[in-house]
Amino acid sequence: MGLLTDPSGDQRGIIWFASLASPLFNASTYFSENALLPGLVKSTFKEDRFALQYFQELQDETQKHESSIPYSWLLAKFRQIGLDSYTHDFTLHSPLNPNDTYYGKNVYGILRAPRASSTEALVLSVPYRPPKSIYPSTLPSIAIQLAFAKFAAKEKYWAKDIIFLITDHEQLGIQAWLEAYHGVTCGNEGTLNHGTLKGRAGAIQAAINLELHSVKIGQIDIKIEGLNGQLPNLDLFNLAGKICIKEGVFHTFKGKTPKYFRDPYKEWLYSFKNMLNMVSTQATGVPNGNHGLFLRFGIQALTLEGFEQGKAGSRSGFLSIGRVIEGIFRSINNLLERFHQSFFFYILPSHDRYISIGLYMPAVCMIAAALIIKACAKWCKMQENHTEIRYIKVVIQFIVMHCIGATVMVFPELVKALNSDVSSTVSYGLPSVLVGSLLIPFLLKSVNHSEGSLNLLCIFGLLELGTALICLSMNNISLGIFCGTISVPFALIAEPTKNRIFKIVQALFWCLIHPLSILFFVVSINTFLMFHQENITEFVFRALDATKQAVIYSIADSMIYGNWLYTVVSTIFIPNWLCFWNVICSDFKRHNVNVAKKNN
Amino acid sequence: MTLHQTLIYLLIAHLQFQSISTSDEDTFSEELLLKPLFSEQLYAHFQFATHWNIEPKNENYQHSHLFPRAVGEIVGRYNVQELHISLTGGLWRYETWGYPVIDAAPGAEVWAWFKPSTTNVDKNWKLLANSLSGLLCASFNFVDISNTVSPDFSFRPRGVVDWSNNLNNTFLRYATLPREIVCTENLTPLKKLLPCGSKAGIASLLNSGHIHNTKYHSTGLHLRHVCSSESCDSVALELQLSVSLVYDYAILGTRNWSFKKLFGHGLNGKCPLATKSNIYVDLSSSKTLNNFELSPEPDQIITSIRGGQVSDYALFNIPSKFLNVGVKYPEDFTLTVNIPPPIHANQYLTGYGQERGGIVTEIYNNHWSSLEIVILQNIAWYVPVYLHTLTITSGGQKLEPKILKYSPGKQREKPYYIEIALKLPARSITTVSIDFDYVFLKWQEYPPDANHGFYIGSAVVSAYLPLAKNYTGLPQDSATIFGSFNASRSGYLVQIRTENMVITLPTPDFSMPYNVICLACTVVALAFGPLHNITTKRLTPKKKNEEKLMQKVKKKLVNFLKKKTKTE
Repeated sequence: MGLLTDPSGDQRGIIWFASLASPLFNASTYFSENALLPGLVKSTFKEDRFALQYFQELQDETQKHESSIPYSWLLAKFRQIGLDSYTHDFTLHSPLNPNDTYYGKNVYGILRAPRASSTEALVLSVPYRPPKSIYPSTLPSIAIQLAFAKFAAKEKYWAKDIIFLITDHEQLGIQAWLEAYHGVTCGNEGTLNHGTLKGRAGAIQAAINLELHSVKIGQIDIKIEGLNGQLPNLDLFNLAGKICIKEGVFHTFKGKTPKYFRDPYKEWLYSFKNMLNMVSTQATGVPNGNHGLFLRFGIQALTLEGFEQGKAGSRSGFLSIGRVIEGIFRSINNLLERFHQSFFFYILPSHDRYISIGLYMPAVCMIAAALIIKACAKWCKMQENHTEIRYIKVVIQFIVMHCIGATVMVFPELVKALNSDVSSTVSYGLPSVLVGSLLIPFLLKSVNHSEGSLNLLCIFGLLELGTALICLSMNNISLGIFCGTISVPFALIAEPTKNRIFKIVQALFWCLIHPLSILFFVVSINTFLMFHQENITEFVFRALDATKQAVIYSIADSMIYGNWLYTVVSTIFIPNWLCFWNVICSDFKRHNVNVAKKNN
Repeated sequence: MTLHQTLIYLLIAHLQFQSISTSDEDTFSEELLLKPLFSEQLYAHFQFATHWNIEPKNENYQHSHLFPRAVGEIVGRYNVQELHISLTGGLWRYETWGYPVIDAAPGAEVWAWFKPSTTNVDKNWKLLANSLSGLLCASFNFVDISNTVSPDFSFRPRGVVDWSNNLNNTFLRYATLPREIVCTENLTPLKKLLPCGSKAGIASLLNSGHIHNTKYHSTGLHLRHVCSSESCDSVALELQLSVSLVYDYAILGTRNWSFKKLFGHGLNGKCPLATKSNIYVDLSSSKTLNNFELSPEPDQIITSIRGGQVSDYALFNIPSKFLNVGVKYPEDFTLTVNIPPPIHANQYLTGYGQERGGIVTEIYNNHWSSLEIVILQNIAWYVPVYLHTLTITSGGQKLEPKILKYSPGKQREKPYYIEIALKLPARSITTVSIDFDYVFLKWQEYPPDANHGFYIGSAVVSAYLPLAKNYTGLPQDSATIFGSFNASRSGYLVQIRTENMVITLPTPDFSMPYNVICLACTVVALAFGPLHNITTKRLTPKKKNEEKLMQKVKKKLVNFLKKKTKTE
């Protein structure tokens, strides 16, 4: 039994995962798709003059529109350049308050490629931010977008239409546009009314989202994390990096460039921090740019965010940025087939090295295997001890836990159906449901548990958690690793016990890893990093408020964008947590005289 | 016009009188129409028409004069009544460009009527497609019954038929190859079909280096029977060859176009075999806002009043000397607001992922009254559509089709065929949508570049327009552009082609078998060597050398010295 009961599988998995950041264990990136031919042509973009002119005009124009998009000006520019130009209206019925309705307007122009019949398209999108927006301005990217359109309109080599898209209201605009383009609704019916599009251009192959905050760019950060942890094809990421290098634009991933150390430990630590940075962004399942919403539709996309301040001394102007865009688009234009080579599942410790799915999956599997082995061991032990098991009761209990999870999942929907304000109801209702569910083991005292039944419930819980972790990490490795690292060590020691102190310690630990507590800790750390001068009480209140907001945002995200983080947590992790809670906190009668051997 | 009338128009060919020539001689005409479009493009249409006075019944098509013999032979051998082919790169943008002289679907499109005497139409169709593939260097050899339909309404004979009482679509075949890429190799054989080739006349302007740098290029071959005299007691064969080009001013670099800019060189005289060699420049865009200067001065200005549209054309008779027609725009230029034509259509896919999807055709009726149309959809067998999901809506209201023809597809044998007759409400957008499933194919059925996707051909929307607004099409009784001037008729046929669509079917990883083979071979190679050695060789212990090191060295030294003394 030594091997089977040894719960160190998860430690091995975590060590494996952490060591992957070291350049010894991962590989450097390369181009898998030959047709891309990156940077093979001489850049000919020289419309930077126009970009500056557009930028000045646009600055004047935005002053006239405090909070709305200057669509007439944009339409006129598109038309002048010779594009088919359209507007797109969309409406959002707030998922949190049924009486709130927001309107938005996207503007887009389509450059019809001379070499094809509108069967395929590329997208260059820019989020429009009015002067009142809390986010940094993106006007320079609109200017360069227009200048690039002007340049591209006179070239005859385009084999894919290029859609120049300017979206309103950040991610809402792009989501509405994509839904309208594909004629589908991704979130809940009746939340985001995506409207209709008048002009289309076939299957979209790739998209570049541009967010330049300044006319002079010190560094470009390439952002890839998408909705539900989806990532674009690694070839596209490599392409963007390669073209930046070719045009001499300083580019980074997560704000960092690869550094070379003599000390392997330092080298590993530097990469590991970078990797954790990506893992933490990806785990939330919230896109960190407008590119993230394209991925669901099979459109490979990334965001190029340009900052004025860079770590490199020199800054690039519109000319270099225009040539970067030209290079990327001409490369994608070469593609015969859609992106299918290279990797879709990977983690990047730096922008020139990658960890493929083949390397990181064993780590997750080891973590999950520890749970499954533990479950087997428990089962074997139960067979030896011949304890009394009430199968039906256990199954019913297991189902009840999941029903609670399902209730949590549909709770916002129910509240909305009752036509009341979702955000306030949820922020009080949801914690009360969860706190109420904590009382289950005490309410079920009358069920008269036996140790065997509790052990069986524990086995169910272990198996469910193990399976869920593997499934989750197939889709979103970061979330899988995060959940695994936190919950597995505690799940492995969870055990029905008569020992009071051990029970209380277990319960305390188990409370700490409740999804809500984890959320609270994560948010607190975030808050601390942002406002670390404040005193403790203020900080705690701020963190609590932020946690509440985070829950409400995740509900809104699931209703508008179809983000499944809330669904997964409420239907799998909360019931699973409750199972173990039940195991830990329930009282039981010991039928067996022989005390079961405890394992450590 | 009632729907009934419309259908009659589509159903029954007109026995119209031919106006080109009444003589017994064969005639050939070459024309070029240049039309500055209201958007930022220039439309150039080359129209070559050959008229062959031949009695089809008792001639074996071997002795031709101006008519290309290669085409004649095909017609004779496969019993073809009518043949229409187009090879197109790019998409005609109806919304901004108006209507072309001849509509064509992106890629390759072919339809043919066979004579009623044909016994095995499918076999003849296959043979015809193969011959055409050789004739035009196009992939027509991929045309077979699995992508062919016989539409009931959309493609009626364009010429005269003497069997209108038993006009039966079993003799009609229609197929498209949306994936076909059209290039120089398709243009060269087409030029060879002309009496003067590309050596003289307007065809000498067809310089492939220049004409494939356009936004749209389409070549067409249209063969039909026409009356050879006014009384229509004898029938003649008519062949129209056409090349349509749309130049973009942005790509051209200037709005001031000339033959030299468009085609690389000017025109050196006409084709001596042609009875008509004309160049027309449409002046209607000049009249409204931007007056351009035409050089040289045209020989004649023709005013054409057709279906409520008045347009002026500058006519150039091709002189024997050098001709370089060009225009010059004034410096200050006004952007015009585009007025879309009465009817245009789009097609697109809905859904994402590889489980279910939908095909949506949107038809815009910008006309002030309702219009009757026929939509034809030829959907490949690998896109199984469900008829019960067919919905037609217009402005939120459900529309009932007047006639719905449907024939379900069969895997690898027959495409899905849908033909719908509709009455579009005035000023409306009508959406026709149908859902489909994604299917798995056999692994040999994937084309090269499998991840490029599979094509769904364009839908054809046919309508008789009451007005000739933005219309340049030829009337049914004429094969020349000249014949379309002042040609007011009761209706103007347009057959709008929508976009092609590309869908991604579930595609296997084709490099996987290769990887597996590599791996398996390596394993076998590594395992085979040792196994073979172990099983076939016997291990025998080698006698241990008992000599000491010093002895060894000594021995070597002695040997070495011995050798040296020998050589000395």
